[in-house]
Amino acid sequence: MIAPYSWIKEFLDIDIPAEKVAEKLNETGIETVVHKFGEYIPNIETVKIIDVKKHPEKDKLYICTVSDGESEYQVITGADNIKKGYVVILAKVGAVIKGREIKPVKFGSYESQGMLLSLEELGLEENSEGIFLLGTDVPVGKDANDILSLGKDYLFEIEITPNRGDALSIRGLSREIGAIFGIERKEPLPLISIFEEENIGIEILTDKVWRYRGVVVKGIEVKESPFDIKLKLIKSGQKPINNIVDITNYILLQEGQPLHAFDLDKIKGKVIIRHSNDGEKITTLDGEEVELKPTDIVISDEEKAIAIAGVIGGENTKIDENTKNILLEAAVFDNVSVRKTAKRLAISTESSYRFERGVDIENLANAQDKALELIIKVAGGKIVGEKDIYIKPYQPKIITLKEKTIDRILGIPILKEEARDILNRLEIKTEISDDGVVSTIPAFRAFDLEREVDLVEEVGRIKGFDNLTPEFPEISLQSFKRSEEFSFEVRARDFFKDNGLTEVVNYTFVGEGIYDLLDLPVPEIKIENYLLKTQSVMRDNLAVSLIGTLQENVKFQQKDLSIFEISSVFFKDFEEIRVGILVSGKYIQGYNYKKGDLLFSTTEEWNFLKLKGIVESYFKSVGLYNTDYISSKLKYLHPYQSADIFINGIKVGYIGKIHPKKAEILEIPKNTFIAELKLRYVPRNIDEDNLKEGYLFTLFKEKDNITFSELPKYPAVKRDLAFIIDENLEVDKLISAVKESNELIEDVKLFDVYFMEDGKKSVAMSVVFRHKERSLSDKEINEVVEGLVEKLKERFTELTLRM
Amino acid sequence: MDLKQELSSLKNEAENLIKKVSDLNSLNQIRVEYLGKKGKLKNILKTLGKLSPEERKEIGQIANKIKDEIENLIKEKETILKEKALEETLVKEKIDITLPPHWIEVGSSHPVISTLIEITETFLEMGFYVAEGPEIEDEKYNFDMLNIPKDHPARDMQDTFFLNNGKVLRTHTSPVQIRTMLKQKPPIAIVAPGRVYRKDADPTHSPMFHQIEGLMVDKHLTFRDLKGILKIFLETVFGRNIPIRFRPSYFPFTEPSAEVDIGCTVCGGKGCRVCKGTGWLEILGCGMVDPNVFKAVDIDPEIYTGFAFGLGIERIAMLKYRITDIRLLFTNNMKFNHQFKGIR
Repeated sequence: MIAPYSWIKEFLDIDIPAEKVAEKLNETGIETVVHKFGEYIPNIETVKIIDVKKHPEKDKLYICTVSDGESEYQVITGADNIKKGYVVILAKVGAVIKGREIKPVKFGSYESQGMLLSLEELGLEENSEGIFLLGTDVPVGKDANDILSLGKDYLFEIEITPNRGDALSIRGLSREIGAIFGIERKEPLPLISIFEEENIGIEILTDKVWRYRGVVVKGIEVKESPFDIKLKLIKSGQKPINNIVDITNYILLQEGQPLHAFDLDKIKGKVIIRHSNDGEKITTLDGEEVELKPTDIVISDEEKAIAIAGVIGGENTKIDENTKNILLEAAVFDNVSVRKTAKRLAISTESSYRFERGVDIENLANAQDKALELIIKVAGGKIVGEKDIYIKPYQPKIITLKEKTIDRILGIPILKEEARDILNRLEIKTEISDDGVVSTIPAFRAFDLEREVDLVEEVGRIKGFDNLTPEFPEISLQSFKRSEEFSFEVRARDFFKDNGLTEVVNYTFVGEGIYDLLDLPVPEIKIENYLLKTQSVMRDNLAVSLIGTLQENVKFQQKDLSIFEISSVFFKDFEEIRVGILVSGKYIQGYNYKKGDLLFSTTEEWNFLKLKGIVESYFKSVGLYNTDYISSKLKYLHPYQSADIFINGIKVGYIGKIHPKKAEILEIPKNTFIAELKLRYVPRNIDEDNLKEGYLFTLFKEKDNITFSELPKYPAVKRDLAFIIDENLEVDKLISAVKESNELIEDVKLFDVYFMEDGKKSVAMSVVFRHKERSLSDKEINEVVEGLVEKLKERFTELTLRM
Repeated sequence: MDLKQELSSLKNEAENLIKKVSDLNSLNQIRVEYLGKKGKLKNILKTLGKLSPEERKEIGQIANKIKDEIENLIKEKETILKEKALEETLVKEKIDITLPPHWIEVGSSHPVISTLIEITETFLEMGFYVAEGPEIEDEKYNFDMLNIPKDHPARDMQDTFFLNNGKVLRTHTSPVQIRTMLKQKPPIAIVAPGRVYRKDADPTHSPMFHQIEGLMVDKHLTFRDLKGILKIFLETVFGRNIPIRFRPSYFPFTEPSAEVDIGCTVCGGKGCRVCKGTGWLEILGCGMVDPNVFKAVDIDPEIYTGFAFGLGIERIAMLKYRITDIRLLFTNNMKFNHQFKGIR
């Protein structure tokens, strides 16, 4: 809310600069920004409109004659809200409005000797429709700067935390500022006379209203508000409407008590506060028709709903210029009920905002009386009846604040006398006991102060948190633990980054479209209230996001991408942390360089084996070795350039080239490769362990320690062998078979694979032989090789050794 | 011509040839021609037999001396010629050392993840350890047990994404506090970094963002300890003498609660666009663990006290790198990402 300093000063004798007040409010828990109300503008004056006529030459323009009591001016304006007899503000020649100097201007053959100003032109509003009509009760010929207090008043724009509904009024803010600076708040009492002439029929059929007070005023005159009321509302950011409505808003701002005025003559019979009927409709003051549910509370007469309790009034009983008799409602409704209704209907009003945060039920009658006092003064009329139904009288809570507790929470000793003084300044009644400060919680803080610790906060914040000196805690030793999951992730990230991949962060929600394009079933977990359709599904793999990243970059002519993401994917009962890698095009934008025998060719393009290289290298970096690659069935991958990855026989991920057909549909480069590895399991169930089979972290945690082997004492012998095998036999199978065939074989290194014409391929490898305890003779090795070939032939029938 | 003269002219002859020679092959030929088994020196020496023993001895000495001299000349020349040949090969191998390199260039870090890791590590060094929880949460952990009852305006502080399985995307990392305290009894000192979600999207709000949560529970912890931990943290991240301000605030799961501001890192506190003229930047929220939270996880608030804090990572990353629109962080346009090569 916006609170003018001048209004606060009506309740506090305070002379402290506004900036200082704002600073202190911030320091004690109410976020406050302070602005000046307008800026001084030279040569602006209040004038009365004494004549208005249409411009004879120009459509849409009016020629006004205005007077400052001494001279008359002719002013041309386009605003059509101008009315004879009203006081307006004239910017005379020489005034500077929004950086422009006012000069005499001719519109057709008529000269305008100035400009009539709107609130926007005065710098007091964002967008104005029409000239600012001050009213008819404002003196003319005065400097408008003085009339409006331009550049002299200050506005506090405050934002409260949800627990501080008590500060949402001039009254509450004055109390708070008074407490901070130790100034007592003034409480002028309203003077009204109630003539008990009429009985008001009010019936309450719900427990969602805690207090309801209706007052009938008859014989009022609806017209514009006096200028001082208007100006306060304008300063507070509200638009004046008419005197009755303005006064209800005025009191709401000043006292924090929402009020509503009904046109009594539009009410049929008695007033009933009840649950709404299912499907019951009401047109609100905004002109919107809304449908209600039985959980909503309405104010109704004997025929129809006339207001949504605590939220907004109904069109059907609205105050208009013909209203003569009113019912003024002051009530406190159940905060949860108001909140549910306001939230469901998406209507937030000054009333509902305050009810949700708690209204001072004990100040209800006082606030309403202040409104009545103003109504009688401004609109005339007579109070002919009053009925106050106080269903849930306030029972104050008594809380004892102990010195010991203050010390235990804040870490400094504060004497109970000091604590008492602080609480008293906050208008909390106290008594000192042996135990501490016995505090009686007033109604305006009932929502907030419920426990001893809440009072500790009050003492702490008014004393100022900056008065507590920092200390470094003693951390008990047993609290130290290693953060292995975190380190494991950081290590993976550093590895892929250091190996040339760029880290990306995508939203974890995607659209269904990408799943359709990839022929994947749409994941089951969806966001019901998503912001965008393309952000409505919780992804169950990283590929959908990484492909999106590639598409986004292709749009910017960036087709060469080497990226990775370490993030979450989501399933019915658990989540996974994965690393996803996507590479496309080139990873070195190289060049050729030839000079004599020197030749460099530095361009490097991604392929399946290069990506496999990074993946394998990562496994080794965390000590994982025993990998297998088995053709993958993933539909978005190339059928013959894709694999599921297994470690120790457990599937941990996949790797592959994007299927060319998919690449075409997705409009991404054909040579795009992708891999996903399952790093960690994240259970949702609190009792479940995160070390689950099928994840690299689990394998990492459970792997054997590396132990040292003796260095070889005897020389190794190397033999190159070439086999001719069926072209479909996987090289890895052959190499493994060779390795396993004899314990003298220390290592096998592939060096040549070439495909022949008859459906066969030649596979050549270096085989290293070594005996631990002696040198090997040629004869021995020949025998081993012979035996090896025999064994291989048994397993792969078509195999031959190339001589 | 007597032998002495003959030897002396032989030497002069050889010396001249060696001087003129310009390649190793020709030099070798000279060696063979003069010093070889059938070379000129040998030929002269063959005639020694005709001389008297005294003469033979004298001539013999002269001949050996000349042989040594020629040999030395050849060796000297050989060294020079070898040097020259090597130099020629090296010149041939000259490359332009300013050529672009041929290796994979290191990838770029994401500024948010970088900041998240840096901050987490700061707390690890202070003795905290990392705890975690899922991103799809029960309302029970995300709200109820954190003292945020249903239909309380406090739930409006965080606009929630609801899922079709009855759960929510966690709106903060605070449910990790609950998960930790349900499983572990004090002393506790954890941080929980992670992704969180709120239904909000504009230049300063992203529907997904990152937070880090801290929780410390033990006997005798006070608000002053909270200030101590956060002071060290903020000074580590923002510099030794950064001004710090604790403003009372409200969070349902802490009491008392505070918001922590630091002096604006852009203008140094004078007031600028980034700090909206206030000279202060709001950095984190914190407070003493509310007794209701302790009760929910069955820890006795009469015995234990604790504090918690939480901060948004994006805000800090944006301040650090002067990024003006939060959405830039998640579009992953390489033109953006590649600007962050070489950060943590």
